[in-house]
Amino acid sequence: MKIRTQLNILTALIIGGSGFAGYQAYDARRELDQFERAMNEAMETRSILLMIEELPYHDETFRRLQVERDRILEPERKKAFADAIRSYAARSPVELRRSIRKALKVESQYFLNNRGRKTEIESRFEKLILLSWGSLAIGLFWLLLTVHASIFTTVGRLSRRMMDFLVDRYSFQFSQPDANELGDLQRTFNALAQKVINTMDDLKRLDQAKSEFLSIASHELRTPMTSIKGSLSLLTSGVIGPLDVNALRLIKIAEGETDRLIRLINDLLDLAKIESGNLPLSLRWESWDEFCGKTLDGLTGLAMKANVRLEQMSLPAIEVNIDRDRLQQVITNLVSNAVKFSPQGGIVRVTVGRSTSGDLVVSVIDQGPGIAQEDRDLIFEKFRQGASASNPIVKGTGLGLAIAKALVSEHGGSIGVDSEIGKGSTFWFTLPQWREKALAEKKAA
Amino acid sequence: MHILLAEDDPAVSIVTRMCLEKIGGHTVELAADGAEAVDCATRRSYDLIILDGMMPLKSGLQAAQEIRAAGIVTTPIIFLSAKIDDRDVASFLSVGTGFIPKPFEPTEICARIDDILANPPTSAPQGILNR
Repeated sequence: MKIRTQLNILTALIIGGSGFAGYQAYDARRELDQFERAMNEAMETRSILLMIEELPYHDETFRRLQVERDRILEPERKKAFADAIRSYAARSPVELRRSIRKALKVESQYFLNNRGRKTEIESRFEKLILLSWGSLAIGLFWLLLTVHASIFTTVGRLSRRMMDFLVDRYSFQFSQPDANELGDLQRTFNALAQKVINTMDDLKRLDQAKSEFLSIASHELRTPMTSIKGSLSLLTSGVIGPLDVNALRLIKIAEGETDRLIRLINDLLDLAKIESGNLPLSLRWESWDEFCGKTLDGLTGLAMKANVRLEQMSLPAIEVNIDRDRLQQVITNLVSNAVKFSPQGGIVRVTVGRSTSGDLVVSVIDQGPGIAQEDRDLIFEKFRQGASASNPIVKGTGLGLAIAKALVSEHGGSIGVDSEIGKGSTFWFTLPQWREKALAEKKAA
Repeated sequence: MHILLAEDDPAVSIVTRMCLEKIGGHTVELAADGAEAVDCATRRSYDLIILDGMMPLKSGLQAAQEIRAAGIVTTPIIFLSAKIDDRDVASFLSVGTGFIPKPFEPTEICARIDDILANPPTSAPQGILNR
């Protein structure tokens, strides 16, 4: 049954019941008053009757007694009273005493009758009061049961199921929706849940299709690159035979561009992997100095070619919780960018500090041309590059900083750049998970 | 060194063979698919077997398993593949001695082969990127 109907019926019952009880009580009260009055009258009549036995006859008294007689409604009482005053008028003491006794008997019977009826009505009145309180209590109890069972219980269940959605549990459906308004809500919930399930399935399929596409694209792009790159390298290495100068120049261009294409493919696939969350980090505590030193060692060749010096601020006590390979990619990216934009004989420094929020801040500082204010956010987007490098050793793919940003954010940090035109740029990123070895050891000891 | 190279892509096959012969100074025998690789490997003995990961008829992985099942357990097997997902690499390394991602430099492949043969990896590296 609909809750609204239940509540309506309940309200009608309470109103009707209390109205009925109220009316009955009012009626009983009125009747009681009536009996009260009748009993008072009977007492009065009785005292008059007792009085006239002793009273000498008097016309005036007789007249008043007649008035008294006319006020009596009940025929039996009236007759007995009339007999009594008639005997009074006849002035016969014997007759008077007899008729008065008779009238008194009638009166006392009348009194008793009334008292009996009054007691009866009083007890009925009490029962009615009991009944109305009882029905009120039962009504309220029913109300409580209805509200509790249908509304609180169902709404509570519904809200718990909705909470499930927040933790990615969508499988629940109300198998038997209630036959009331809450049932409508449950059916709506079912429909919503179904929609979410469908959407999640679509997303899963899409994600799978994307992964498959990436895997196939990766394979199909790399295979021809293998033979192109291999052929060109074999030609330039001279093992096949000497080439004339112009041919060698052209082949070297082709080789450089092939390398660039391979880098682009790698970067694109990396970025796609990171962005789709297919690249879980394997975090380990590493010594910062050792990690950074090894990473920069891998870049000395590049730096020497560009005549740029790499400097590393040494902080032997610092340890960071990182995925070594991924973070190496970030630093390689930032440092090779810095080298590319450095002037001949310039210095690229890698320093470590602490941010106001307590994170470790790694900075790569160069003495390059700087980056214009309006480019500073753009360069972290895909395929966006600032002004072209003054020292183009390696042409970029336009994805390096986007990858660095994605990898840093996978580590829970953020990345950014401060720059002054003409003086240089500082690319920095934060690492929330770091510690001081000495402190950690002291704590352990 | 006498090497069996199984590679279905003719261009890659020619270039890789040339790299191995001209730079590494090895002798190379070619197989065009996985089935042929198993056939060759079981009939003759080689110092090294190089298998492409994805080939018709039999994948490199399948071929390697069959070669090992045929009792050829000491000859090192190195996989070449453009499939470089962590899972692919892990499954290659579970059967083979080493893995070289495509594309590669001619000098690099010879150096990597020497390196792998000198220090075969004990366990699969975790989550390598496309480097």
